[in-house]
Amino acid sequence: MKILVADDSRAMRMIVIRTLRQAGYAGHEVIEAENGKEALEIASRQAVDLILSDWNMPEMTGIEFLRALRANGTTTPFCFVTSEGSEEMRELAQACGALGLIAKPFTTESFSDILSSVVTA
Amino acid sequence: MSTIDEFEAAREDLEALLIEVLGTVAGEEAIPVWDDEELPPGPIVSSRLAIHDEDDDSHTMVTIRTSAIVARVLASRMLLTPDPGPDDLLDAVGELGNIAGGNVKSLLRHSCRLSLPMAGVAEHTGEPGLPGGVTVRALVLGQVVELSVGVADDVTGLYWPGATSAVEV
Repeated sequence: MKILVADDSRAMRMIVIRTLRQAGYAGHEVIEAENGKEALEIASRQAVDLILSDWNMPEMTGIEFLRALRANGTTTPFCFVTSEGSEEMRELAQACGALGLIAKPFTTESFSDILSSVVTA
Repeated sequence: MSTIDEFEAAREDLEALLIEVLGTVAGEEAIPVWDDEELPPGPIVSSRLAIHDEDDDSHTMVTIRTSAIVARVLASRMLLTPDPGPDDLLDAVGELGNIAGGNVKSLLRHSCRLSLPMAGVAEHTGEPGLPGGVTVRALVLGQVVELSVGVADDVTGLYWPGATSAVEV
């Protein structure tokens, strides 16, 4: 599988990738993007199987990225990994077509709970 | 608009939040400390971000401060590098601030916007992180990490990712 991780913090991208491995999802190819705009360009150029994206990013936010993807007809599974986990944001994420929202700080279990249906260990 | 009373009422939640964030992100057990535990002299790495309440146009500031020594260890662990550079320290503490800010927003305020964190390094002068705000502290790696929340008068320089366009205030 090819997994796209979008976050403006390199430290957080590293933590997300490490947590994926700790959750049992090692061995997948991971591509990194620094913001929604860069992530959208990557996802438009090549097929990815899963997108993990921050919400609050410069250039293009995560929700703008998700809306642009869905507007293009791209149905790639999309999950937010973000510091804001309010019910309002979870509802908005799902209404826009996200699998769900993993709130920071997170655990390996929170990754497994949401991703087990779309990622093979 | 949030007030100092609201922040004081959330003090225990803020302490628990700081402990959880440090434990999860740094992989290091943190313990709460009392107000007389201060940041050490020397360079301090800090992160500041604001929460904007669009209903009344008020801002809540959230800051994280710690010593450069702790910031270096955090960056090393987060980035899995033995020798993090200056930008890595800012990234690590900035992200710590981002996580804290997002959780403070969820804790205190809803339907608001969160700025991106702005991190920097400065010599510790003994001044409080956020004058007039509520500060909680935790001890990690033998040194203090400080989370402050308060009403913000000045949000100059912060970057606000928006629904249609990002703006700098």
